[in-house]
Amino acid sequence: MELSRRRFALVAGSASVTQLGLAGAEPLTAEVVVRRVQAELGGDWAAAGADGFKAGDPATVVKGIATTSMATLDVLKQVAKANANLVLTYEPTFYGRGDGRAAAPGGGRGPGGVSADDPVFKAKNEFIEKNGLVVFRLRDHWQARKDNDMVTGLAAALGWSAHRVKTDDALYDISPATAQATVDLIRTKLNLRAGLRAVGDRKATVRRVLLHPGAMTPATMWQRYSTVDLIVAGEVREWENTFYAADIFTAGDKRALVTVGRVVSEDPGMRACADWLKTVVKEVPATWIGAGDPYWRPTA
Amino acid sequence: MTAREVIELIKKNGGVPFNERSYRDTFKAGNPDDTVKGIATTMMVTWDMLKRAHAAGLNLVISHEDTWWNDRDDVKDLTDNPLYKLKNEWIAKNGMIIWRDHDHMHAMKPDFTVVGSLRSIGIKGGENDTMAPRIHTIPETTLGELAAQVKRVSGIRAFRCVGDPKARVSKILLGPGYATPRMTAEADVVIGGEQQEADGGFDNVEYVRDAASLGMPKGVIMLGHVVSEQPGMEDYAKWMRTFIPDIPIQFVPAEEPFW
Repeated sequence: MELSRRRFALVAGSASVTQLGLAGAEPLTAEVVVRRVQAELGGDWAAAGADGFKAGDPATVVKGIATTSMATLDVLKQVAKANANLVLTYEPTFYGRGDGRAAAPGGGRGPGGVSADDPVFKAKNEFIEKNGLVVFRLRDHWQARKDNDMVTGLAAALGWSAHRVKTDDALYDISPATAQATVDLIRTKLNLRAGLRAVGDRKATVRRVLLHPGAMTPATMWQRYSTVDLIVAGEVREWENTFYAADIFTAGDKRALVTVGRVVSEDPGMRACADWLKTVVKEVPATWIGAGDPYWRPTA
Repeated sequence: MTAREVIELIKKNGGVPFNERSYRDTFKAGNPDDTVKGIATTMMVTWDMLKRAHAAGLNLVISHEDTWWNDRDDVKDLTDNPLYKLKNEWIAKNGMIIWRDHDHMHAMKPDFTVVGSLRSIGIKGGENDTMAPRIHTIPETTLGELAAQVKRVSGIRAFRCVGDPKARVSKILLGPGYATPRMTAEADVVIGGEQQEADGGFDNVEYVRDAASLGMPKGVIMLGHVVSEQPGMEDYAKWMRTFIPDIPIQFVPAEEPFW
């Protein structure tokens, strides 16, 4: 009901903007860009899915597009500075799956969602409004793309693009190095701080690597871990995959698991998204803005 | 005394009704009717921890978390898994018995996981705390200094902090393990074990990043799941000794897994 009302407002909004534009040339609104993205990516864009407009007016004329793994306020500040106004974000904008609009199950303890008078939620909305930004979540349809740029993007960021084993899998055969040295390389390449955590055998020789941006389930871990030397994942549940890796280490297996952080692992894939957008929307610039590693820990 | 009899004593002395339908609080391996030589309490039944318990002559392990790398300890997809087979054979060969106390332990008053977690990071006054998180007011400090204290007092290596290290904080909301509480208007710092980083019910990490971007003094400290709840298993061992005086009971911690 809510969505269909919004949909109607969208259509009405687009019509009025069209009347103001040049005859015959449809203004490049956020809605127009999104429709083009949807047509290119294909698939069923269910109204109830995660992907969709999360903030701003879809009838806004687009000056520039920014992609990011997560539309944090710091990212949005950089978007405004870069004179872009349409943001495509892989993760939520408003602190959970419900994206500020409704309570959602799962995650941390306590009620899901965020209340309308929450000061952080309000300030972020005000910033978006004041700067005329439009935020669209593009997750399910981007990761469903056959090319799987979430994986190839991460490989490119690590300098491993040329080492892919086969095109339909996320395996890479890199120049052999110890797990410790490979983890150090990952830390440097992805500019990581405390978000990187590794478990397993530091001295293992790493040649075959499985890249898994985002969250990895135990089933995937159980199936794949023993076939590779190193898994690079976004995040796992500690009491599941982390201790599976710890037990394999106790068993004497020489391999390692490194988690770099869910959002950080998705940053390079959204950089690839900006590159792809340039081929789909040529009228305005598309840039990538990394969300970066949010974690630190004291050195002393 | 058999393992089954030990567990009956735990249920009797817990002070709260025991939920017999809990899929968590059950035997996970070994023969419950074997005689108990010694008891090890721990947070997670890692193989490394099992070996140390066995070397200490303890054959009953009571763990807060799982044995088979998933919450339900469901092994139907693991029967052909080489690691499962090795660990399971080792457990059988060495006559180890494993029982999990999770839901029952969180229902107890106090909840040892919360009490132990607060104590282990140097926050006083949580001796009677329960599973329901509440604000602990500490003398005003910075988020950076609080994090340094956590490191100094607990010895945890791979914990993760979010927020401005210079933010002035005094109100702490703690929930160990996966029960990391959501940030509230009153709390300055949420301390938890672990939490899905994004796309959950409430994403603390993004919320605190945005609050910091607005100059609001908010922080998150993620201690790690096992290390955040583990100190409570030492309290649990002490508690067991009050009603099982004649069997050795030792706290045998699971290792912090991260480099």
